[in-house]
Amino acid sequence: MMSVNTQAVTNRSTAGARLSKSPTRLAVERFMKNKMAIASVVVLLIIVVLCFGAPLFTHWSPTIQDLANTDSPPSALHWLGTDDNGTDYWARDLYGGRVDLMIGFFDMVIVMLISIILGGLAGYYGGWVDSVIMRVVDFMFNFPFLLLVIVLQSILNNTSVPLLILIIGFTAWPAPTRMIRGLFMTLREAEYVTAARISGAGAWRIILRHMLPASLGPIVVNSTLLMAGMVGAEAALTLIGFGVKPPTASWGAVLNSSMDYFTLSTEPYAWVPPALFITLTILCINFIGDGLRDAFDPSFEK
Amino acid sequence: MLTYIIRRLLGMIPMLIAISIFTFLMMHLAPGNAIDAMINPRIKDLAQVQKTLEAQNGLNLPLPVQYLHWLWNVLHGNFGFSFSQHQPVSSLLGPAIENTLILAILAEILILIIGIPIGIMQARRPYSRLDYSTSIVSFVFFSVPYFIFAIFLMYVFAIHWPIFPAQNAVGTGPNSGSLIDHIYHALLPAISIALTSNTVYSRYTRGSMLDVSRQDYVRTARAKGLQEGQVFRKHVFRNAMVPIVTQFGFDIGGLIGGAVILEGLFTYQGMGLLTINAVSQRDYPVIMATTLLIAIGVLIGNLVADIMYAIVDPRVQYN
Repeated sequence: MMSVNTQAVTNRSTAGARLSKSPTRLAVERFMKNKMAIASVVVLLIIVVLCFGAPLFTHWSPTIQDLANTDSPPSALHWLGTDDNGTDYWARDLYGGRVDLMIGFFDMVIVMLISIILGGLAGYYGGWVDSVIMRVVDFMFNFPFLLLVIVLQSILNNTSVPLLILIIGFTAWPAPTRMIRGLFMTLREAEYVTAARISGAGAWRIILRHMLPASLGPIVVNSTLLMAGMVGAEAALTLIGFGVKPPTASWGAVLNSSMDYFTLSTEPYAWVPPALFITLTILCINFIGDGLRDAFDPSFEK
Repeated sequence: MLTYIIRRLLGMIPMLIAISIFTFLMMHLAPGNAIDAMINPRIKDLAQVQKTLEAQNGLNLPLPVQYLHWLWNVLHGNFGFSFSQHQPVSSLLGPAIENTLILAILAEILILIIGIPIGIMQARRPYSRLDYSTSIVSFVFFSVPYFIFAIFLMYVFAIHWPIFPAQNAVGTGPNSGSLIDHIYHALLPAISIALTSNTVYSRYTRGSMLDVSRQDYVRTARAKGLQEGQVFRKHVFRNAMVPIVTQFGFDIGGLIGGAVILEGLFTYQGMGLLTINAVSQRDYPVIMATTLLIAIGVLIGNLVADIMYAIVDPRVQYN
């Protein structure tokens, strides 16, 4: 209560200064004040630098086998030891992170593109376009996401990362599509959309130039959460032997290779780091998403 | 109510047909067929034998006819024959469905036991220190993928202190196959699901209870001089449970197919593991059967959610 009152007072006293700031600027300012979100950005950046600058932090390649030192514990030569084939765990963790982050990023882009197009069309036109798209969404919802990915992979005989990204991307779109359709359906009734339509703007112009910017906040928030989900999906799939195929390294693949009794019980240096990387990445992305939500929608302010 | 349920059941039919066509086509597009898997490639007159077998099994018929044949068999409980396990698919499905249901129900009970009390506690003192701290812990738990919890739990409670089994859905010995044995084996995977998923319920409960506690009838109840505890139990809690019940129905549907990863990790012999094994052995009749049944499970779960919503909320008119 207290904070709301002071907020109102400062609002009134600095009304002139506040009015001159754009909504985006205000959102950025609110985001910068969120300590958890900023800390998450820093941690996530460190992880990204570690993964994409991997050659700077390890001399080993994720696939080269050091046959003189197979299954070795952590040492000066191999910081986190090696697996049964003599590949370096630290190198596999770092290079593997690239695959996870790439799957997270590209699948987020693919899924958001599909969702904006389909959700936008359904929400803008309504009517039969909406019913057709939404029936397909309802249909897809009957198949659990990870199960469908596994089955599609077996049918398409997949072994490559790009194909995996496509399969995940073309399976994960129903939920965000439904979200964006909901957003656009409420926006369709807005006065400025009517104004744009009266002044002769076409459907795509209204969708892309008027409705999309207005729904940017929820879309950005959902994209970050989606990216976290996609990183988790890769790890989950690869953990049970689907997803990324050997010898490609990924966090899920390192976990997968540690899932035997001996490694699990005696070599925590094999499976704790990838588990930590996965958890930290997802946690940071979620905290950033949470910070963005608060930044874009001040009504959530605590 | 009865007419509503009947109408919803009839409304499911087009979706069921769509699901069956999709499953059938998906498997039809898959490389290889049953004949390739069954005959020895070094046999004399390979092409001739293949052609005869295809004709005998109706694989040379037009696609729609093949689909109707398959559908007819499925409706009679005949899902074909598993290449890899050498037995009828229908005999594999029974125990798998049973194990998956045990895991789903156990996980759902744990989720409710953990999630709803946390939500109630937070809603009783909103914006307090307790509310904030539990909310942050919930958020962190929600962000940790359930398979990380599963590996951690497996390490602590199955390997470091071998209290629980790390594998299988049933054990060996005199108690093997009893309900207690099943629950004992399903407990670790169920806890892994519950640790992350309870957050959904605690957040829903908190939000829903805060919404309801601002309603006029709650103020009326207070004004009548009812004790705070009674107001919460009789007026706030019961009404706040309406959206929770819906979520519960969706969850039951989702858990039937959603535990694929955990079933794989714990080699827990449910529908998920059956599918995983079938996929890695390209055992298409099994994949078709499990995909079809899981999709139907989700569909029924959603129907149950809607019906439960109609039952608990008398304001909803479905006619």
